[in-house]
Amino acid sequence: MSGLATKVPGVAAPPQDQQARHRSAITPLGFGVPAAVVLVAMAIYPLVVLFQMSVSDVGPSNIVGGWSFVGLDNFAGALGDPETWYALWRTLGVCAVLLTSNLVLGFICASVLAEPGRGSGAVLGLMVFIWALPPLVSGSVWKFLLDDSGALNSVLGVVGVGPVPWLSSPAAALWTVAGVVAWSALPFSTLILRGAMLAVPKEVLEAAAIDGAGFWTTRVRIVLPLLRPTMWILAILTVIYAFKSFDFVYVLTEGGPGSSTNTLPVLSYYTAFTQFDMSTGATVAVLSMVVVAVCAVPYVRRINAEAPQ
Amino acid sequence: MRSRLPVLALALLLATSGPAISACAISSVAASSPDTTVLTFWQYYDGTQKEWLEAEVQRFEERNPGVEIELVQVVGSQQDQKLLASVATGTTPDLFINNIVVDFPTLVAGGVMLDLTPYWESFPDADAFPDHATWEDGGRIYNLMSYTNLLGLYYNQDILDEYGLAPPSTLDELQAAVETIKADGRYEGIALSGAADVEGAWLFAPQLLGLGIGYCNLAESAQQVTDAFRRIAAWRETDALPRAAATWDQNAAWQQFMTGRYAFALNGNWQLGNVKEAGFRYGTAQFPAPPGGRSRVFPGGEGFAIGSKSQHPDLAWKFLEQLMSPESGLAVYRAAGSIPLHEQAAAAPEIREDPLVAPFVAATRDAAPWPNNPNTAAMQKALGTAVSSVISGEQPPEDGARDAIEGVAEAREQGGGGCA
Repeated sequence: MSGLATKVPGVAAPPQDQQARHRSAITPLGFGVPAAVVLVAMAIYPLVVLFQMSVSDVGPSNIVGGWSFVGLDNFAGALGDPETWYALWRTLGVCAVLLTSNLVLGFICASVLAEPGRGSGAVLGLMVFIWALPPLVSGSVWKFLLDDSGALNSVLGVVGVGPVPWLSSPAAALWTVAGVVAWSALPFSTLILRGAMLAVPKEVLEAAAIDGAGFWTTRVRIVLPLLRPTMWILAILTVIYAFKSFDFVYVLTEGGPGSSTNTLPVLSYYTAFTQFDMSTGATVAVLSMVVVAVCAVPYVRRINAEAPQ
Repeated sequence: MRSRLPVLALALLLATSGPAISACAISSVAASSPDTTVLTFWQYYDGTQKEWLEAEVQRFEERNPGVEIELVQVVGSQQDQKLLASVATGTTPDLFINNIVVDFPTLVAGGVMLDLTPYWESFPDADAFPDHATWEDGGRIYNLMSYTNLLGLYYNQDILDEYGLAPPSTLDELQAAVETIKADGRYEGIALSGAADVEGAWLFAPQLLGLGIGYCNLAESAQQVTDAFRRIAAWRETDALPRAAATWDQNAAWQQFMTGRYAFALNGNWQLGNVKEAGFRYGTAQFPAPPGGRSRVFPGGEGFAIGSKSQHPDLAWKFLEQLMSPESGLAVYRAAGSIPLHEQAAAAPEIREDPLVAPFVAATRDAAPWPNNPNTAAMQKALGTAVSSVISGEQPPEDGARDAIEGVAEAREQGGGGCA
């Protein structure tokens, strides 16, 4: 705030004041330099290379340089390949499951856990634990549980339900994987929504109670509309998360059986790093990024709108 | 402000020099004394194979004072990317292993490997190795194999005895045996990897290789390819092959066999050490031959190469000579069950007279050649995806065969069109 000194007309500022003003103008820039360097090195530069790859012909023989420019040929090739479109639909399927889970189940869980109690604390602790688990670890555990002869099917067998091909059936695998991804994302959405619920003024809830509204009526009719901005942001973050979800698919099915769980990130990875068709892999990644960028615009707008002026 | 400048400068220096520092750390290892020469060796072994390599390094260092070999553990699936990048920075390792099934065409096309032809031509034991021990591109040798890993058939002797069955030598016999066993409903049929990647392709290919069909002539043999896909679809429909095999890698398939519920497993000789832990009697046989054909599989295993930017290629070759020796070949057999390719080692009584190993040794004599195309990995991925989709029921066998043929042809074309 010292930099906002009031200027008095007709009185020249002393040289020391000018230096101080100059310093205070430069200091924030100085603080920003390391962050800017890291951002350029770790995010901007790789993005530039990714875009460059997507408009070049890059294979194993020229991966280190000498890329020839091919314009939009790679995009035409990727968009003309039915597998890209199948992968997009699968990604949208995962996205739909995640949205349902994060918004509906997340709201229900948050409503229950927003109530004080020992049980709530324990469940919240467990959720944080699940959220913090590396996908490689939790994914491997789920793979074991969901195997055709795994623990889940053994339990189902006890109650007379035949083994369900959770991961081995092309019809079920995508939804199973989406379910596991949703399971891992649920704690995050619950914690976010619970935090927003706790910020709802108590007077509003008390007024609803005086008017005779029950617990769920209050949650749905009073709290839910108040959470709408948070829900919007959560929905956008969920879409972004769905379009970059790779680890669980890789651990659980590696894109199979067949190509039934080949989502856009998985397709991009296998094309680039197994087949070494870097150009197409980069192109698919860029196409995914376009979707994410479209979602990021309203997200940034909302964040800016909610930031204190 | 004056006092902050050096801090900012240091932060900038660290941020900008980070990649360079990490690159140096991986490509050049500090010698323990000024007179010591250090060779870097990138490898992704674990378990018994790693123990074998560490013992070889120790033996080499004892025989060659002043030379150290620094083993750098690399994640196998990331090694190709790192090696390709190391060419640009001139920091290839002195030595590295590579999976010949997927890595070699990519690495040789990327200029990662040193031409070993002059070394090999002056190697006294060169004649003691079969042709597939050397991996060539354009008539030049870039990769050497001291041992090989191949596929074969494992069977549960207890189950076969229960039904009075002999180990099958053909796919038809295998199918008949499995039908007999499955009819009783107490045991499962075949455990194999049908994953939608190179592993699924690797396990499926022998059904065609024995008929003289490989990646290079898939399209010309569409009927036989379709028949092979129909066979695995039939295995699936009769429950001889579980649907879950569509997602099993070779380790997962092996774990299923080791439960004792499966009569057969198609897997590699690297499981010979693990099979000793089975709670049942077992045996091995060559991969069952397709109808009208012979038993034939692709040779697998790791190749050894010298980095194209190595500063010490002669020393690196000296270590490769040791790895190619009969002593080293026997050592890798004892440690990991891998089949040595040096004729002297392969003829050792402990290998020749072991009935469990014999089928794999026999398979080395007639191993199928790999296609010579930088897109071999993509060709395998296309075949593996089709295999997985048919096993899982995602596609009928006819569509799977068509997709496999088209996918392999497309990958081959993208790799320049070459093959044989």
